[in-house]
Amino acid sequence: MLINPVEKDQKRIRELELATGETISDCYQCGKCTAGCPASMDTPPSVIIQYLKLGQFDMAKNAESIWSCMACLTCSERCPKNVSPAAIIEGLKNLHLRDMDPRVSLEAMDRDFLAHSPQMAIISGFRKFI
Amino acid sequence: MSDKPVRIPYYPGCTMKTKALGFERSAMDCAEVIGFEMDELKDWNCCGASYPLTQDNLMGLTAPTNILVEAERRCQKEAIDPNLLTLCVFCYNTLKRTEFAFGQDKKKLETVNAFLDRKYEGSIRVVHYLEYLRDVIGFDNLAKMVKTDMSKFKVAPYYGCLLLKPQKEIGLDDPEDPVILHNFLDALGCKVIDFPAQVDCCGSYLVMREPEKVSKLSYDILADANEYGAETLVTACPLCQSNLDQSQGNKVQFADLDGIPVLYFTQLLAVAFGLDTKTHQLEEHHIDPRPLFEANGSDSESK
Repeated sequence: MLINPVEKDQKRIRELELATGETISDCYQCGKCTAGCPASMDTPPSVIIQYLKLGQFDMAKNAESIWSCMACLTCSERCPKNVSPAAIIEGLKNLHLRDMDPRVSLEAMDRDFLAHSPQMAIISGFRKFI
Repeated sequence: MSDKPVRIPYYPGCTMKTKALGFERSAMDCAEVIGFEMDELKDWNCCGASYPLTQDNLMGLTAPTNILVEAERRCQKEAIDPNLLTLCVFCYNTLKRTEFAFGQDKKKLETVNAFLDRKYEGSIRVVHYLEYLRDVIGFDNLAKMVKTDMSKFKVAPYYGCLLLKPQKEIGLDDPEDPVILHNFLDALGCKVIDFPAQVDCCGSYLVMREPEKVSKLSYDILADANEYGAETLVTACPLCQSNLDQSQGNKVQFADLDGIPVLYFTQLLAVAFGLDTKTHQLEEHHIDPRPLFEANGSDSESK
């Protein structure tokens, strides 16, 4: 990977920090977030944050793994530097969702899921994926 | 307890009126025995289920604030302590974090109030049922109310995530090494099965998009509890209950497990109190817990 932070990306990263209230440069890459993450991510939380630290905004934003975050908050709880990877991941997801790029389709949704799942799963799912 | 039950404003949330009716009914029946009444708010809306993790849009806080306003009005009108009781862990987390956010930042409250017809003053303290049992009733007092011999029950306390995290905002217990459910089960006289996966995530709302991952995570939790000798798990979260219970329908994934009932902690409390559990929807569980109750000598439906 070519490390070449561009001005445009620096601006987007600052906007992400404002949106989430997080300071990305605080991360010192200890990897505790990744060690505790239950989501089996191909691109784990510490790598997503490292992309951002290196100014590679699109690498972070387009990591498919952000959609596997279940907001269990284990990463945020264990971070020794008080960074919340879960909040940063949600900030990245929101950029897609606000661009009207949802990750589940209402039409294609499993009827059995809607009939049998607790309301909280449906409402949370709508908030996180649509 | 005193003859006149204490009334506490109670917020149920959507799931409690649909898929988790057994949770609410068992909690209400137990409250009656203990000596308090869960007084449902007259006018309530969905809390939004998940607290927004980003700070750039406060719209996600309007729904929980509307609930807090309703509770505040009720408490002021009746001149009672400004507490709001919750059962559902998602509701508890969302309302508690909203309470915390306003406590930290009055500007946030002003901004949200600007969107609401009724203004919230910020007085309500959100309390979970389990927290009420521990801090107000006391587990030692609870132990004195137990009527059934529960010593044969091998129960694993399963906490999940949102009852405990983030600790600095929820503050109920240690998120890595919690004891509140352990102590609750101890008070009932159950054999408490401490197991490593007690705070692992069940997969939560990912069930909407990646149910196979939820099935795997649920298996890991149940297999771990099973390995440590648990016959059943208790939880306070309807989504944990659903994921752990319904996932067991996947016969391939769960081939080596016999079927482990997953109970709401209040359903087990009702058994310990010797209550009639007919309305507690035990039959709605994918893994029916009733054979376990019978095997452990507490056929509570016949009482």
